[in-house]
Amino acid sequence: MAFNILIVDDSSVMRKIIIKSLRMSGVPIAELYEASNGKEGLDLVNQHWIDLVIVDINMSVMNGEEMIDHLRENLETSDIPVIVVSSEGSETRVERMKNQGASFIHKPFTPETIRDTVKKVMEGSNERSI
Amino acid sequence: MRDQFKEIFYQVVTDTLEALAFIFSFPEDQRDTIDYDSALTTSVSFTGPFSGKLVMAISKQVVPGLAANMLGVDEETSLPQQQDALKEVVNVICGNFLPTIAGEHEIFTIDVPGVISNADQARFLHDGKPTSVAKIKLESGQADFYLFIDGRD
Repeated sequence: MAFNILIVDDSSVMRKIIIKSLRMSGVPIAELYEASNGKEGLDLVNQHWIDLVIVDINMSVMNGEEMIDHLRENLETSDIPVIVVSSEGSETRVERMKNQGASFIHKPFTPETIRDTVKKVMEGSNERSI
Repeated sequence: MRDQFKEIFYQVVTDTLEALAFIFSFPEDQRDTIDYDSALTTSVSFTGPFSGKLVMAISKQVVPGLAANMLGVDEETSLPQQQDALKEVVNVICGNFLPTIAGEHEIFTIDVPGVISNADQARFLHDGKPTSVAKIKLESGQADFYLFIDGRD
């Protein structure tokens, strides 16, 4: 099964780095969607079937934490796996997002970290209801 | 304490450049500041337990290679890509540095980084004394990093 993956980051360079890491990782990819803030990301989630969201925290318009809150509040999107990729260093904030069911990757990261985390998250989400 | 602070600053800067852009760098504390006419400058502000900004000025000739390394491409990168790459570098350095001096549980809001125009470069130099400065040598250029913390110099 190949996954539809949404990448939400205000840096186009970081989005490309994540995409490259995903392609190198061997994760089966169906469609890749990109958004530059949480609001654009939510719009894409409402338009397409998304299997995994990879999201930054600090973005203008709507940040990553707010986007995760919106995803979790909506029954149709509440079980979408989320990986936060950020340079955030506050353990308090990271714990808060983990409590929302998100996994966390710290920037800078290696492609191996992306691969391992995506595999772990997607293995645990096989029973996501359609 | 100030020496320890500076040491951590250098460590975060060199580690980030190496991990994010595959660029090796070396502290060059004794030299003059970079020639700002030949540099591109980016800045990011933050608020939290304390507020301030991190400014990075880097030799223009280094930037295309830095962006290409980050993107993993051989072809020439565009100016927007290069600026975006610099903004990401300064963002990651800031995100990694703040918890090392404020503590792991403190929460900061890091603003969206921006490119500083040539005119504003001159202004920021007279915009108070930086709390810490890291001057580094790169293979084909230099970079200066200025940390400003409001109310501290």
